[in-house]
Amino acid sequence: MIPQEAQYRAWMLAALAGDAAAYRMLLQGLTRHLRGYYAKRLGAAAAEDAVQESLIAIHAKRATYDPARPFTAWVYGIARYKLVDEYRRNKRTAAISLDDAGELFGADEAEAASARRDVEKLLARLPVAKRDLVRAVKLDGHSIAEAAARTGMSETSVKVTVHRALKSLGEELGDNHADR
Amino acid sequence: MQTDDLIAHLSGELQPVGGAEVARTLAAGLALGLFGSALLMAATIGIRPDILQAMGGEAFWLKFLYTLAIAILGLKLVERLGRPGTEAAWPALLIAVPILTLMSMMAVQMMPADSATRHALLMGHSADVCSVLIAALALPLFAGLFWSLRKLAPTRLTQAGAAAGLLAGSAAATIYAFHCTESTATFIAIWYTAGIALTTLMGAVLGRFVLRW
Repeated sequence: MIPQEAQYRAWMLAALAGDAAAYRMLLQGLTRHLRGYYAKRLGAAAAEDAVQESLIAIHAKRATYDPARPFTAWVYGIARYKLVDEYRRNKRTAAISLDDAGELFGADEAEAASARRDVEKLLARLPVAKRDLVRAVKLDGHSIAEAAARTGMSETSVKVTVHRALKSLGEELGDNHADR
Repeated sequence: MQTDDLIAHLSGELQPVGGAEVARTLAAGLALGLFGSALLMAATIGIRPDILQAMGGEAFWLKFLYTLAIAILGLKLVERLGRPGTEAAWPALLIAVPILTLMSMMAVQMMPADSATRHALLMGHSADVCSVLIAALALPLFAGLFWSLRKLAPTRLTQAGAAAGLLAGSAAATIYAFHCTESTATFIAIWYTAGIALTTLMGAVLGRFVLRW
């Protein structure tokens, strides 16, 4: 059984009964799996569209979830359908495995989570202001213009700051490797 | 739109969903299809004039129960394949039970018969139209069931289409039994089964185009 099954199923049942807070946590949790799943198969650029398509499908078709059956298999069915859809639209052919939901809820999530932890550890070495900028632009997907507007800096200095911050992190990483 | 905003939007407009939604959707499509199919038959080929007498005999009930058994399994298949992440293996395998039962009744009829009788058993008096009429009566059922399935979330479109075709064909054959005056197990085993096989094939072919959502 998929480890997340019990938690996600409980959220789903609450959501079907109208609990918006549980629903929100469910969608946020699923988004992480979906992002990993699609990024690996479609590339990061196309992945976000596929994630949103899947979330909308999960929402629109939520009545088709049968509480007597595993929730993770239901979500995987939708994720896989949207992947096939995406391939078909781009006239790409690829072998899509018919395996179980483990593909969606397995390695991707663990990889993404550990990558996220590593990034957070690295970011912690930056001064707060720089850290927030890097996070906004590189992790949360805000544009340079948005970040500039929010901090009151010019777009150029946002760009330069982010660039320098990343460079210094890169150098630190290099040092670490040299130390070992 | 940012994904976080989408999540906020979707959870903001969340409405509770009852457990019977799928059953209601399927019942609506099936009822419309049955009604359309019965109407189509009544308006064209008509009900056999001696229907009340016929309902007293076992040949009518053999046809009726055979097609009804397949239709019930077909409905189960459609319900399962209309939901993501659901396997449909056991109802599909169970379809062998009514078919093999009738096939063995056919063997009992055919074995002792001479070749002229065999030919009469096989062809009845309506072999050339039976399967085609069943497929034609299935058209309103196809429309109703495809409408239902598109409101659900089939993710294996060929399989879901085949299941809809199986249900459309067997339900149409159940209706056709009110017209048909054939009375042998052999005829039903061959031509009713062929009609249902034909609609199943039609559904499988149409599914991947019509059932996309």
